[in-house]
Amino acid sequence: MRFDKYFEPTTVEECCKILKEYGSDAKILAGGTDLVPRLKNKIWRPRAVVAISKLPDIDMISVQKDGLELGAGARLRKISMDPSLEKDYKVIMEAAGNVSSMQIRNMATIGGNACNASPSADAIQGLIAMGAKAVIASQDGTREVAIEDFFKGPGATVLKEGEFLQKFKIPAPKAGTGAVYKKFAIRGDTDISIVGVGCQLILQKDGTIEDARISLAAVAPRPIRATEAEKLLIGKKLTEELLNQAAVAAENSCTPITDQRATADYRKKMIGVWTRHAVEEAAERAKNKLNGN
Amino acid sequence: MERMEIELTVNGRKHTLYVSPDRTLLEILREEMNLIGTKKGCDDSNCGVCTVLMDGMAVKSCTILIPQANGHSITTIEGLERENSLHPLQQSFIDNFAVQCGFCTPGMILTAKAILDENPNATEDDIREGLHGNVCRCIGYKKIVASIEAVRDGEYKESCGEV
Repeated sequence: MRFDKYFEPTTVEECCKILKEYGSDAKILAGGTDLVPRLKNKIWRPRAVVAISKLPDIDMISVQKDGLELGAGARLRKISMDPSLEKDYKVIMEAAGNVSSMQIRNMATIGGNACNASPSADAIQGLIAMGAKAVIASQDGTREVAIEDFFKGPGATVLKEGEFLQKFKIPAPKAGTGAVYKKFAIRGDTDISIVGVGCQLILQKDGTIEDARISLAAVAPRPIRATEAEKLLIGKKLTEELLNQAAVAAENSCTPITDQRATADYRKKMIGVWTRHAVEEAAERAKNKLNGN
Repeated sequence: MERMEIELTVNGRKHTLYVSPDRTLLEILREEMNLIGTKKGCDDSNCGVCTVLMDGMAVKSCTILIPQANGHSITTIEGLERENSLHPLQQSFIDNFAVQCGFCTPGMILTAKAILDENPNATEDDIREGLHGNVCRCIGYKKIVASIEAVRDGEYKESCGEV
């Protein structure tokens, strides 16, 4: 492992200036759990490493009236255990708590999980389910991108040279919203997901599905939404038949690969199974919310 | 590359070091401070033998750049022993035969300490969940979990004091 320069900028302006100057020769250090192994294995050989830990509010977890703001440097374990998220943002906690081991979660950050852009990333699934926006900072100011548009492929994001991910904005859920993230892996959290399914449903008082978001992990080059399945659900009441249809639609929307963890066929089948589980549980939670629990 | 000043509190003692920022916390602990109780295993943050406590939280020191630890307080296995007695977890691991080759033990014990510090009433499930990031390839986990449960149940309070 070798790099020439190490920076710890204390302002956003300073950080952007360094990133601009070094361009693709700079790598950002947040928790380091993905970056450091890659530096050690010489997969990346940046000239400069830029730590974002000293930036103001970079690790904030701030619940406001109109939504939640999560700094890109918020540690996954802090998110997964923060009592202020329990009521409205449980899916964010669950997804963050599903990443790797306790030791890794103590260091790893939500922004890092996004920027690493692994198709199987768990922590960001909560953000996709809840319709989060990523706030990207550069010398020209900030821009916002819907989280599902943030990813371009394995390891690739919309971040351009000189930009960095500053925070996420998650809108406050409407009444009757239930959301869940289901990870399927052989050895629990520590393992990389075979598949993962996030789901957020908004139910009306009579049980009609007002809005549905389903996100799938580890079955495409990037995290994807199962839009066909969502369309099927919206405007209807949840029945066994509808659930089956949605599960099949989700299966058809994914393009998994075969690797050492599972075959493409098996992944497809499991997407059906876990979409059912996720939709059912999201509906259950939404009902509980409507009943004031 | 240019060295930088790093302040570390290790096992209660303050240190000021001038080291290159492209080194890991594990390297500094082992090579500069001679605290070789912390082991180097996979060196890729999978196996957990390099676990230390940073401000009381279990972390894998092999993938932490030394500037990330700047200003923080580190506890290694060497920091657990008290005057005239081992730490309850150390004694319990010995008494319950939770050690075979011993390579994973420092990491196991520090992770166990983090689990019990955070939740003194941790159930078997909590303990097993907490140990997810620590791999033992000799004896399996049964004895390790039993050792931690014994400490949780206060079996070492008299001989070794509080956790």
